[in-house]
Amino acid sequence: MQKLTITGLVIFFALSLLVSGCAKKPAGDTSEVKETTQVEMQQEQPAEIMDDKVEDKPFDAAAAARAAERAAAKGLERIHFDFDQYILTDAAKSILVSNAGLLRAAAAVKVLIEGHCDERGSDEYNLALGEKRALATKNYLVSLGVAAERMNIISYGEEMPIDAARTKEAWAKNRRANFKVKR
Amino acid sequence: MKYFKVSFFIIMTLCLLCSVTFAARIEISSPGEQTIPLAMTRLLPMGVGGVQSAIETEFQQVLLGDLELSGLFDMTDPASFLSDADKLGLRRTEIDFYQWRMLGAEALIKGGYSVASGKLTIELRLFDVITQRLLTGRRYVGKLTDVRKIAHTFADQILKSLTGEKGPFSTKIAYISKRTGRKELYMMDVDGYKPIRMTDHRSIVLNPDFSPTRKELIFTSYKKGNPDLYRKEIYTGRESRLSLKQGLNIGGRYSPDGREIALTLSKDKNSEIYLLGTDGTIHRRLTNHYAIDVDPSWNPKGNKIAFVSDRRGNPNIFIVDVHTLKVTRLTYEGKYNATPAWSPKGDRIAYSRMDNGVFNVFTIREDGTDERQLTFGKGSKEHPRWSPDGRFLIYSNDLNGGEKSIWIMRADGTGAKKISAAGGNDSHPAWSDRW
Repeated sequence: MQKLTITGLVIFFALSLLVSGCAKKPAGDTSEVKETTQVEMQQEQPAEIMDDKVEDKPFDAAAAARAAERAAAKGLERIHFDFDQYILTDAAKSILVSNAGLLRAAAAVKVLIEGHCDERGSDEYNLALGEKRALATKNYLVSLGVAAERMNIISYGEEMPIDAARTKEAWAKNRRANFKVKR
Repeated sequence: MKYFKVSFFIIMTLCLLCSVTFAARIEISSPGEQTIPLAMTRLLPMGVGGVQSAIETEFQQVLLGDLELSGLFDMTDPASFLSDADKLGLRRTEIDFYQWRMLGAEALIKGGYSVASGKLTIELRLFDVITQRLLTGRRYVGKLTDVRKIAHTFADQILKSLTGEKGPFSTKIAYISKRTGRKELYMMDVDGYKPIRMTDHRSIVLNPDFSPTRKELIFTSYKKGNPDLYRKEIYTGRESRLSLKQGLNIGGRYSPDGREIALTLSKDKNSEIYLLGTDGTIHRRLTNHYAIDVDPSWNPKGNKIAFVSDRRGNPNIFIVDVHTLKVTRLTYEGKYNATPAWSPKGDRIAYSRMDNGVFNVFTIREDGTDERQLTFGKGSKEHPRWSPDGRFLIYSNDLNGGEKSIWIMRADGTGAKKISAAGGNDSHPAWSDRW
């Protein structure tokens, strides 16, 4: 019995709130919205001037392409490999996902993928290993929608270390695939 | 007293035995195991031209260096020499062999020189002290700058008359050096003298090999961007690209008859061993496996090629039959075996094995038995290559603070010494044939 009266009270209260809300909203809210939109319109007026510029569409597309190219040139990150391995690590794959995004955005860009190794191991074997690294990198980017024709590969084996030190850290840095944007 | 008599008897019989085998031209295949007591006198001036101590010293130093490296000799101490050492007499009858016998020498080198109107003449003799016979006699005529060449040539001759096989001392070593800041091709004498830069590619030059028949080298260079195989004539300097397939054109090795070149190509997206004609056309593909296949090395018959493959996981040495293409595995020990070099004698294959980040040189028989470690200790020893007579091995060693230099040793691992000068980061040695 008590429960019923409580629920009844709750329903009544809710209904009364609804009614009062419905009654008040049209009057108070609309006036406030008009005021804010007017202010915003005034602030956004330069946008109308922007509209004139948009008419120069070809110029803008080239600029965008150049921007994407710059972004690709700057943003294509190198990836690293484990010793004597050309299998892509999870870390390498996630970097390649972001690289693929940059490359898809800059459709005109061609890249050279360089495969490198650390100094340990035989020179010839490392040349072949570096090539496998570059190829694995290219294939993964192809699977992410980057056209194969846009990518060339080359192996430098252990000939071009970025850190000449003979430490584990240096070797890890040197086992890599980097990207060079052509042109 | 009795003891003395017995030991004296033993020594005498030993000497007799030695002299008997010595006279019968023993084949000394593993140097260092038995040595011949050899006395080498100073080069003496003959008649005109007078004393030229620079020539004497240089000749002495070069010849002695070669003979010591050979490990075949036990040099008699010059301080013990008697009066005959200062006599010019080069004829058998003019020599007091008794003096040399007393010093324990079994072989004797005597020589004289003269300089006339810019021409250098050196007369040399090698005698068998025991039988008092002339083993070899030579007269060399050349320019004043040919002293080293003459000494090396005579050293080759001494080995020939004592062992039946010429020495390799007048051949050449090609190698890669970073002396200019970039890897270029160089060539030097077997004792490291007179290094000459052969290329000016200002790129990356790698892994040379000498033609066995022509005065010509092949190597890989990134000069035009791609690692292409180049051929260079040594004396004309003429150079051409021999193989420029997309991808790797690396590790070129002439067949023993000089008619084909084995190398690694990756034109089909994977490194495989191929045979090329000397015009650069592909004759045959030897391997067919998704793994890495690199570093071919011919056997002296030219019907088998050792190479490196990671087809069973880690890099190991395999052998492919050039005709049947049957592949057999050679090395099982260790985790990283690379850069095989088949001895020109055919009996052993040298290679380098990496263990804990350090390479050492090993040799093994073709059937995979009798594996021997030749080098030990600090320094990575890589890229072993044989001398044309199979007596020596040459390799790179980074013992000096990470900088590579060229070292030479006997085929049994003894007598190792550095031959290239510091500051070059020298690697990838290759030994020429006797032209």
